[in-house]
Amino acid sequence: MIELIGEILKAIIIIGTILAGILAILIWVKNQTKNITYLRTLIQVAFIPLIFLGLIVGPFGLPQSPPAGNAPREVLLGAENLKGWFPDGITVPVLACYYPSGRTVTCAIWQIQSYIYPFWNPGLGFWGTFYTNSGIERLAIVLGLLIAMSLVLGRFFCGWICPFGLYMDLLSNIRATFKKGYRKFSEKTNTAIHQLRYVIIAAFLIISIIFGSQAIFGLQLVSGTQQGEYVYNYFSAPYCQVCPMKPLCVLTETSLGYMDPAYVLESTTGAFYEAGYFLTSLNLAILVLVTIIALAYRRFWCRICPLGGLIALFNRYPPFKWASITRLNKVEEKCTKCGICKRVCPTQVTEVYEKEGGDVTTSACILCLRCVEMCPYEDCLKLNVAGKTIFKSRNWVNSR
Amino acid sequence: MNVKNESDKKYALEIAPKEAEELRNAIRATSTKVIAENIKRMKKTWPNRPETMQYFDEIANFFGTREKEIREAKEEGKKVIGYTCMFAPIELILAADAIPVRVSSGWYDSAKLGNRIVPVEVCPVIRSTIGVKMIDLSPYLELSDALITTLTCDGMTKLSEILGYYKPVWTLCPPRIKDSEQSMAFWKEELKTLKDNIEKLTGTKITSKKLRSAIELMHKAAKAFRKLQDVRKGNPVIMGRDAMLVNQTSMWDDIERWTRKTEELCSELEKRAQEKAWACPPDTPRVMITGTPIIWPDNWKLPNLIEEANPQGVIVVDELCSGDRFLYDPVGVDEWNMDDMFNAVAERYLLPSTCPCFTSEDGNENRVNWLISKVKEFRVDGVIYYVVRGCMLYAMEYMRIKKALDQLNVPVYYLDTDYTREDTGQIKTRVEAFLEMLKSRVEI
Repeated sequence: MIELIGEILKAIIIIGTILAGILAILIWVKNQTKNITYLRTLIQVAFIPLIFLGLIVGPFGLPQSPPAGNAPREVLLGAENLKGWFPDGITVPVLACYYPSGRTVTCAIWQIQSYIYPFWNPGLGFWGTFYTNSGIERLAIVLGLLIAMSLVLGRFFCGWICPFGLYMDLLSNIRATFKKGYRKFSEKTNTAIHQLRYVIIAAFLIISIIFGSQAIFGLQLVSGTQQGEYVYNYFSAPYCQVCPMKPLCVLTETSLGYMDPAYVLESTTGAFYEAGYFLTSLNLAILVLVTIIALAYRRFWCRICPLGGLIALFNRYPPFKWASITRLNKVEEKCTKCGICKRVCPTQVTEVYEKEGGDVTTSACILCLRCVEMCPYEDCLKLNVAGKTIFKSRNWVNSR
Repeated sequence: MNVKNESDKKYALEIAPKEAEELRNAIRATSTKVIAENIKRMKKTWPNRPETMQYFDEIANFFGTREKEIREAKEEGKKVIGYTCMFAPIELILAADAIPVRVSSGWYDSAKLGNRIVPVEVCPVIRSTIGVKMIDLSPYLELSDALITTLTCDGMTKLSEILGYYKPVWTLCPPRIKDSEQSMAFWKEELKTLKDNIEKLTGTKITSKKLRSAIELMHKAAKAFRKLQDVRKGNPVIMGRDAMLVNQTSMWDDIERWTRKTEELCSELEKRAQEKAWACPPDTPRVMITGTPIIWPDNWKLPNLIEEANPQGVIVVDELCSGDRFLYDPVGVDEWNMDDMFNAVAERYLLPSTCPCFTSEDGNENRVNWLISKVKEFRVDGVIYYVVRGCMLYAMEYMRIKKALDQLNVPVYYLDTDYTREDTGQIKTRVEAFLEMLKSRVEI
């Protein structure tokens, strides 16, 4: 029975992905005026198989125990070469769990949290992963890669790659098909909400350090933690126990057949920190909450996403700010302050509208480029990567 | 003169029906002559004026085909909604199947009549509009079932009060600060009230489908308008006056037909640009007009003078709410639902406006930006800052605009005049001196 559900889900997801891809291409070709949004959707959809099917890097430590599945080991590339460097898959600043088959990519937040525990030691691997580097070395690799990616692309990851961003967009589209309008926070509330992500980052880092205190300082702050050992309660990766993306990851992996649905269901009952091996009740509750809010407020999660906050930290604040190369630029004199950029922004960024020309990228901006697309003045808004203009606003009235 | 309520004539002076009739006939006769004369002069300056301009000449005649059309449409049950200012949301009017017409007046002679009600210091646009109403001169003002007046400057504020004695008037009060949240909320409320009023008058509900098609219609108009602007960016293939006339006719013409005709005109002009059939020598000084709205037909004094002067100038762009500002900004809709469309319409009419009635910390930065970018885009040689006497807001912003343009090394000339034909000689001398100076700069 459960296998059957899994098979059906798998079929739905694969067919849906293919159809969405074809649809995105068709609409993009047909409707040139909206091309940035459709190109973005296309890229978002294209990254789904890359993230969840694991086509780039090898399946280090294939799931051995019950969640076992049949990850496409044969088609994976680079499995052996990168093993030592990225035992859990390449760090990518998008919300994609450590579950995804073959561990092609792994959410940076999970790595940061769980590598703090063993700190000076390699620590224990998960599902057959064997670490050769110590926790702090792995942490350095993860942070290095995260900073490098943030400097190069910044929150481009949020707008164009992150699967949870796609989910947010999907919710907006569902709302839009019912001809319902979206809601907006007041500017003050929105600014406050945007600051919440730094609170979340601080909270999970502090909890992680408290739980890893035995390993880090040799001082046991919480009983049950041992040097170099993963602590088997669910505060080990505290953020992951509240992350709304985890249920979606598990769902996708299960339906693709890379996780055993029976096992997942068995392990997902009971009190939230005891039995929720894959999902905690907090995960589900927050997913439901975020889903409901995101139906009214566009890209709601992206405003408080701690991963987005990390990218913003390494991209929008000095000294990183000076080195970041992906920037949204505005030419002041072309701007008539018509306010379109402010209204269409899914995260309610006001700086693009308010700031005088130059670099108008902000930490709240997910670089979805909706403003660039909707700006009706030629060359007014531009996305520059290393000084080269990739996208610029066009006189879209002319293509009507 | 059909006053709503006899006891309500607080402002309106008695004017004997006979006198009114005489005045109407006299001014109408002069006006018809002036319209014909203006068109003749335009033809004379631009000998190879394209055939397609004929259509706009026809529409430009206030007492001609368009009046008849509107009258017929009215008999079929369509409503006509007049507006005095470009803050009136055309999309909402079109969505309710009504006909939008701009009713602010450009008649010189009626300004003198307006003097009987308001002092002579008041801006002549206001005085003239009052005068027009006193003798029922303007066909569009007479045909409109309701008026949308915008409380921008003092003149407009009191004008709405005075017009309110004759017609139902819906006031639209734009906040003086654009950027704050409460202003936007207030403005949206104003437009919501207006929308309800329009719906009540026309009996048509503004549905999202209708609003969408109205917005798309205006997009098409904006596209045609921008095409015309693009044509004017190069060497002059169209005289500025003619382009101004084309822009101005959009304010009372059927917008769909206007779009089609303008597209035709543009393709003709593009062909001419390829053939290098310039409307005037390419080294003619390129002039930009900014300031108080210049309204057809009588107030064509300045454009006429510039383009008929010796040395000749050509108006390549203007920053007038009766000209290039009218169709410049499109309504940018994110999601095609009622909420977002309405917000988009509301924001389009408030935020990009360069009207000097707004203030901010940066001091109406919009207008400066607009002027600077247009000066660069259209390779403007000199700017004429046109102010009618009594237009305080435009007059007070002169210094700021001059400083911004001085930095670009573009000469600005402040020209103040009134709704009168008597100062044509002096203004001609002043304009010619300015153009002489521009000409010598061009030659260097």
